[in-house]
Amino acid sequence: MAEFECRLKKYRQLKGLTQEQLAQKVGVRRETIMRLEKAQYNPSLKLAIDISRIVEAPIEEIFIFE
Amino acid sequence: MKKKAKFLIAWGIFCVLLLLASSWYAVTFNDSRLVVPMDFERYTFQLKDLPMILSIFLTCIYGITLFVTLISNICKKTRQTERTHQTRSLNPKLGYLGFLGLLGFSGFWTYSIDGSVFPFTFFLFFGFFGFYYEGKMSGTFMDERFLENAAKANLKASNITLSIIFLAFLILCQRKLFGSLEYTLIAVIITLSIAFALRIFLSEYLLYRYDHDEQAGESED
Repeated sequence: MAEFECRLKKYRQLKGLTQEQLAQKVGVRRETIMRLEKAQYNPSLKLAIDISRIVEAPIEEIFIFE
Repeated sequence: MKKKAKFLIAWGIFCVLLLLASSWYAVTFNDSRLVVPMDFERYTFQLKDLPMILSIFLTCIYGITLFVTLISNICKKTRQTERTHQTRSLNPKLGYLGFLGLLGFSGFWTYSIDGSVFPFTFFLFFGFFGFYYEGKMSGTFMDERFLENAAKANLKASNITLSIIFLAFLILCQRKLFGSLEYTLIAVIITLSIAFALRIFLSEYLLYRYDHDEQAGESED
Protein backbone atom coordinates (compact mmCIF):
# COMPACT_ATOMS: atom_id res chain seq x y z
CA MET A 1 0.00 0.00 0.00
CA ALA A 2 1.25 3.48 -0.91
CA GLU A 3 2.55 5.61 1.91
CA PHE A 4 0.83 8.94 2.17
CA GLU A 5 2.58 12.11 3.22
CA CYS A 6 0.99 15.51 3.47
CA ARG A 7 2.84 18.80 3.51
CA LEU A 8 -0.26 20.92 3.81
CA LYS A 9 0.71 22.42 7.16
CA LYS A 10 3.88 23.93 5.68
CA TYR A 11 2.11 25.48 2.67
CA ARG A 12 -0.81 26.67 4.78
CA GLN A 13 1.51 28.44 7.21
CA LEU A 14 3.41 29.97 4.31
CA LYS A 15 0.11 31.54 3.17
CA GLY A 16 -0.54 32.70 6.74
CA LEU A 17 -3.81 30.81 7.03
CA THR A 18 -5.21 29.11 10.11
CA GLN A 19 -6.82 25.69 9.85
CA GLU A 20 -10.22 27.29 10.37
CA GLN A 21 -9.67 29.83 7.58
CA LEU A 22 -8.49 27.18 5.14
CA ALA A 23 -11.39 24.92 6.11
CA GLN A 24 -13.87 27.70 5.39
CA LYS A 25 -12.27 28.50 2.05
CA VAL A 26 -12.44 24.89 0.82
CA GLY A 27 -15.81 24.09 2.44
CA VAL A 28 -14.85 21.46 4.99
CA ARG A 29 -14.61 21.29 8.78
CA ARG A 30 -11.46 22.26 10.66
CA GLU A 31 -11.19 18.65 11.86
CA THR A 32 -10.85 17.52 8.26
CA ILE A 33 -7.90 19.87 7.72
CA MET A 34 -6.35 18.52 10.95
CA ARG A 35 -6.70 14.96 9.71
CA LEU A 36 -5.24 15.91 6.35
CA GLU A 37 -2.21 17.53 7.94
CA LYS A 38 -1.63 14.41 9.99
CA ALA A 39 -1.91 12.37 6.78
CA GLN A 40 -4.74 10.42 8.34
CA TYR A 41 -7.28 11.28 5.71
CA ASN A 42 -7.21 10.77 1.99
CA PRO A 43 -8.88 13.77 0.31
CA SER A 44 -11.08 13.63 -2.75
CA LEU A 45 -9.65 14.96 -5.98
CA LYS A 46 -11.90 18.02 -5.73
CA LEU A 47 -10.72 18.84 -2.21
CA ALA A 48 -7.08 18.31 -3.19
CA ILE A 49 -7.47 20.68 -6.16
CA ASP A 50 -9.29 23.28 -4.03
CA ILE A 51 -6.55 23.18 -1.39
CA SER A 52 -3.85 23.38 -4.02
CA ARG A 53 -5.49 26.51 -5.48
CA ILE A 54 -5.87 28.17 -2.10
CA VAL A 55 -2.31 27.55 -0.90
CA GLU A 56 -0.99 28.13 -4.43
CA ALA A 57 1.15 25.01 -4.57
CA PRO A 58 1.05 22.02 -6.92
CA ILE A 59 -0.99 19.03 -5.70
CA GLU A 60 2.00 16.65 -6.01
CA GLU A 61 3.96 18.94 -3.70
CA ILE A 62 1.27 18.94 -1.02
CA PHE A 63 0.13 15.31 -1.17
CA ILE A 64 2.85 12.78 -1.68
CA PHE A 65 2.26 9.07 -2.31
CA GLU A 66 5.29 6.81 -2.18
CA MET B 1 -43.43 27.15 16.12
CA LYS B 2 -43.63 26.79 19.89
CA LYS B 3 -47.09 28.33 19.77
CA LYS B 4 -48.19 25.65 17.30
CA ALA B 5 -46.70 22.88 19.46
CA LYS B 6 -48.49 24.23 22.54
CA PHE B 7 -51.74 24.40 20.56
CA LEU B 8 -51.34 20.77 19.42
CA ILE B 9 -50.61 19.58 22.99
CA ALA B 10 -53.62 21.49 24.33
CA TRP B 11 -55.84 20.09 21.57
CA GLY B 12 -54.57 16.56 22.35
CA ILE B 13 -55.36 16.95 26.06
CA PHE B 14 -58.78 18.38 25.16
CA CYS B 15 -59.51 15.38 22.89
CA VAL B 16 -58.53 12.89 25.60
CA LEU B 17 -60.72 14.66 28.18
CA LEU B 18 -63.59 14.88 25.69
CA LEU B 19 -63.29 11.16 24.90
CA LEU B 20 -63.25 10.30 28.61
CA ALA B 21 -66.29 12.49 29.31
CA SER B 22 -68.29 11.19 26.34
CA SER B 23 -67.37 7.59 27.20
CA TRP B 24 -68.57 8.18 30.77
CA TYR B 25 -71.79 9.70 29.38
CA ALA B 26 -72.32 6.77 26.98
CA VAL B 27 -71.68 4.16 29.70
CA THR B 28 -73.91 5.93 32.25
CA PHE B 29 -76.83 7.19 30.11
CA ASN B 30 -76.61 5.46 26.72
CA ASP B 31 -76.15 1.69 27.35
CA SER B 32 -72.44 1.97 26.42
CA ARG B 33 -73.32 2.56 22.77
CA LEU B 34 -70.25 3.25 20.60
CA VAL B 35 -68.03 2.30 23.56
CA VAL B 36 -68.45 -1.48 23.51
CA PRO B 37 -68.20 -3.31 20.11
CA MET B 38 -71.52 -3.15 18.24
CA ASP B 39 -73.05 -4.22 14.93
CA PHE B 40 -72.78 -1.14 12.71
CA GLU B 41 -74.93 -2.68 9.98
CA ARG B 42 -77.96 -2.28 12.23
CA TYR B 43 -76.88 1.05 13.64
CA THR B 44 -79.49 3.80 13.83
CA PHE B 45 -78.62 7.29 14.94
CA GLN B 46 -79.84 8.49 18.35
CA LEU B 47 -79.42 11.96 19.78
CA LYS B 48 -77.62 10.50 22.81
CA ASP B 49 -74.87 9.22 20.46
CA LEU B 50 -73.94 12.77 19.54
CA PRO B 51 -71.30 13.43 22.30
CA MET B 52 -69.46 10.22 21.46
CA ILE B 53 -69.62 10.86 17.69
CA LEU B 54 -68.37 14.43 18.14
CA SER B 55 -65.46 13.42 20.38
CA ILE B 56 -64.41 10.63 18.00
CA PHE B 57 -64.67 13.04 15.04
CA LEU B 58 -62.54 15.66 16.82
CA THR B 59 -59.97 13.03 17.84
CA CYS B 60 -59.75 11.80 14.23
CA ILE B 61 -59.26 15.37 12.98
CA TYR B 62 -56.55 15.79 15.64
CA GLY B 63 -54.82 12.59 14.54
CA ILE B 64 -54.84 13.69 10.89
CA THR B 65 -53.54 17.17 11.80
CA LEU B 66 -50.78 15.62 13.89
CA PHE B 67 -49.80 13.31 11.02
CA VAL B 68 -49.78 16.13 8.44
CA THR B 69 -47.75 18.37 10.78
CA LEU B 70 -45.23 15.59 11.36
CA ILE B 71 -44.82 14.88 7.64
CA SER B 72 -44.50 18.58 6.73
CA ASN B 73 -41.90 19.06 9.49
CA ILE B 74 -39.88 16.10 8.23
CA CYS B 75 -39.99 17.48 4.67
CA LYS B 76 -39.00 20.93 5.93
CA LYS B 77 -36.04 19.54 7.89
CA THR B 78 -34.93 17.44 4.91
CA ARG B 79 -35.00 20.51 2.64
CA GLN B 80 -33.11 22.49 5.29
CA THR B 81 -30.48 19.75 5.54
CA GLU B 82 -30.03 19.74 1.76
CA ARG B 83 -29.73 23.52 1.68
CA THR B 84 -27.36 24.03 4.62
CA HIS B 85 -25.43 20.73 4.42
CA GLN B 86 -25.80 20.44 8.18
CA THR B 87 -27.18 17.51 10.16
CA ARG B 88 -30.67 18.03 11.51
CA SER B 89 -30.98 19.48 14.98
CA LEU B 90 -32.28 17.01 17.49
CA ASN B 91 -32.42 16.92 21.27
CA PRO B 92 -30.21 14.07 22.59
CA LYS B 93 -32.88 13.48 25.23
CA LEU B 94 -35.00 11.93 22.47
CA GLY B 95 -32.70 8.94 22.96
CA TYR B 96 -34.84 8.07 25.96
CA LEU B 97 -37.52 7.03 23.44
CA GLY B 98 -35.39 3.90 23.08
CA PHE B 99 -36.94 2.64 26.30
CA LEU B 100 -40.15 2.24 24.26
CA GLY B 101 -38.44 -0.92 23.01
CA LEU B 102 -39.39 -2.50 26.34
CA LEU B 103 -42.96 -2.50 24.96
CA GLY B 104 -41.82 -5.47 22.91
CA PHE B 105 -42.10 -7.60 26.06
CA SER B 106 -45.85 -6.95 25.99
CA GLY B 107 -45.92 -9.44 23.13
CA PHE B 108 -45.50 -12.28 25.61
CA TRP B 109 -48.62 -11.04 27.39
CA THR B 110 -50.77 -10.48 24.26
CA TYR B 111 -49.69 -13.85 22.86
CA SER B 112 -50.89 -15.59 26.00
CA ILE B 113 -54.20 -13.62 25.95
CA ASP B 114 -55.32 -13.73 22.30
CA GLY B 115 -52.39 -15.13 20.35
CA SER B 116 -51.43 -11.81 18.72
CA VAL B 117 -47.73 -11.46 18.04
CA PHE B 118 -47.38 -7.98 16.50
CA PRO B 119 -46.33 -6.28 19.80
CA PHE B 120 -43.03 -8.14 19.51
CA THR B 121 -42.19 -5.72 16.70
CA PHE B 122 -42.04 -2.94 19.32
CA PHE B 123 -38.52 -4.18 20.10
CA LEU B 124 -37.67 -2.10 17.03
CA PHE B 125 -38.08 1.01 19.18
CA PHE B 126 -34.77 0.17 20.88
CA GLY B 127 -33.29 1.76 17.77
CA PHE B 128 -34.42 5.16 19.06
CA PHE B 129 -31.46 5.08 21.45
CA GLY B 130 -29.57 6.23 18.34
CA PHE B 131 -31.26 9.63 18.69
CA TYR B 132 -28.89 10.27 21.60
CA TYR B 133 -25.85 10.18 19.34
CA GLU B 134 -27.66 11.87 16.46
CA GLY B 135 -28.63 14.66 18.84
CA LYS B 136 -25.01 15.04 19.94
CA MET B 137 -24.06 15.65 16.32
CA SER B 138 -26.84 18.17 15.70
CA GLY B 139 -25.95 20.93 13.29
CA THR B 140 -22.64 19.32 12.24
CA PHE B 141 -21.45 20.52 8.85
CA MET B 142 -21.51 17.52 6.49
CA ASP B 143 -18.23 17.77 4.61
CA GLU B 144 -16.78 14.94 2.54
CA ARG B 145 -15.06 13.26 5.52
CA PHE B 146 -18.33 13.29 7.49
CA LEU B 147 -20.20 11.72 4.55
CA GLU B 148 -17.44 9.14 4.17
CA ASN B 149 -17.68 8.29 7.87
CA ALA B 150 -21.47 8.07 7.58
CA ALA B 151 -21.18 5.64 4.68
CA LYS B 152 -18.59 3.61 6.62
CA ALA B 153 -20.83 3.51 9.70
CA ASN B 154 -23.87 2.50 7.65
CA LEU B 155 -21.94 -0.26 5.94
CA LYS B 156 -20.59 -1.67 9.20
CA ALA B 157 -24.01 -1.48 10.87
CA SER B 158 -25.60 -3.29 7.92
CA ASN B 159 -22.91 -5.97 7.94
CA ILE B 160 -23.35 -6.63 11.66
CA THR B 161 -27.15 -6.72 11.31
CA LEU B 162 -27.09 -9.09 8.36
CA SER B 163 -24.62 -11.37 10.15
CA ILE B 164 -26.88 -11.53 13.20
CA ILE B 165 -29.96 -12.25 11.06
CA PHE B 166 -28.09 -14.91 9.10
CA LEU B 167 -26.81 -16.64 12.25
CA ALA B 168 -30.20 -16.46 13.95
CA PHE B 169 -31.95 -17.93 10.91
CA LEU B 170 -29.31 -20.61 10.61
CA ILE B 171 -30.02 -21.67 14.19
CA LEU B 172 -33.81 -21.28 14.00
CA CYS B 173 -34.10 -23.22 10.76
CA GLN B 174 -32.62 -26.32 12.34
CA ARG B 175 -35.89 -27.38 13.97
CA LYS B 176 -39.11 -26.06 15.45
CA LEU B 177 -38.52 -24.04 18.61
CA PHE B 178 -39.86 -26.05 21.57
CA GLY B 179 -41.64 -28.17 18.95
CA SER B 180 -43.88 -25.30 17.85
CA LEU B 181 -43.78 -23.40 14.56
CA GLU B 182 -45.52 -20.45 16.26
CA TYR B 183 -42.68 -20.12 18.76
CA THR B 184 -40.26 -20.18 15.83
CA LEU B 185 -42.23 -17.36 14.17
CA ILE B 186 -42.11 -15.34 17.40
CA ALA B 187 -38.36 -15.88 17.65
CA VAL B 188 -37.99 -14.71 14.04
CA ILE B 189 -40.05 -11.56 14.69
CA ILE B 190 -38.02 -10.78 17.83
CA THR B 191 -34.73 -11.40 16.03
CA LEU B 192 -35.68 -9.21 13.06
CA SER B 193 -36.99 -6.40 15.27
CA ILE B 194 -33.91 -6.35 17.50
CA ALA B 195 -31.58 -6.66 14.50
CA PHE B 196 -33.19 -3.68 12.75
CA ALA B 197 -33.14 -1.71 16.01
CA LEU B 198 -29.43 -2.48 16.24
CA ARG B 199 -28.99 -1.33 12.64
CA ILE B 200 -30.65 2.03 13.42
CA PHE B 201 -28.69 2.50 16.64
CA LEU B 202 -25.31 1.34 15.33
CA SER B 203 -25.31 3.60 12.27
CA GLU B 204 -25.62 6.65 14.55
CA TYR B 205 -23.32 5.33 17.27
CA LEU B 206 -20.54 4.31 14.88
CA LEU B 207 -20.76 7.61 13.00
CA TYR B 208 -20.36 9.44 16.31
CA ARG B 209 -17.42 7.25 17.27
CA TYR B 210 -15.67 7.64 13.90
CA ASP B 211 -16.18 11.37 13.94
CA HIS B 212 -15.13 11.92 17.55
CA ASP B 213 -12.43 9.31 18.08
CA GLU B 214 -10.64 10.81 15.13
CA GLN B 215 -10.76 14.20 16.76
CA ALA B 216 -9.18 12.97 20.00
CA GLY B 217 -5.83 14.56 20.60
CA GLU B 218 -6.22 17.08 17.81
CA SER B 219 -5.15 20.64 18.30
CA GLU B 220 -5.16 23.87 16.38
CA ASP B 221 -2.01 24.31 14.23
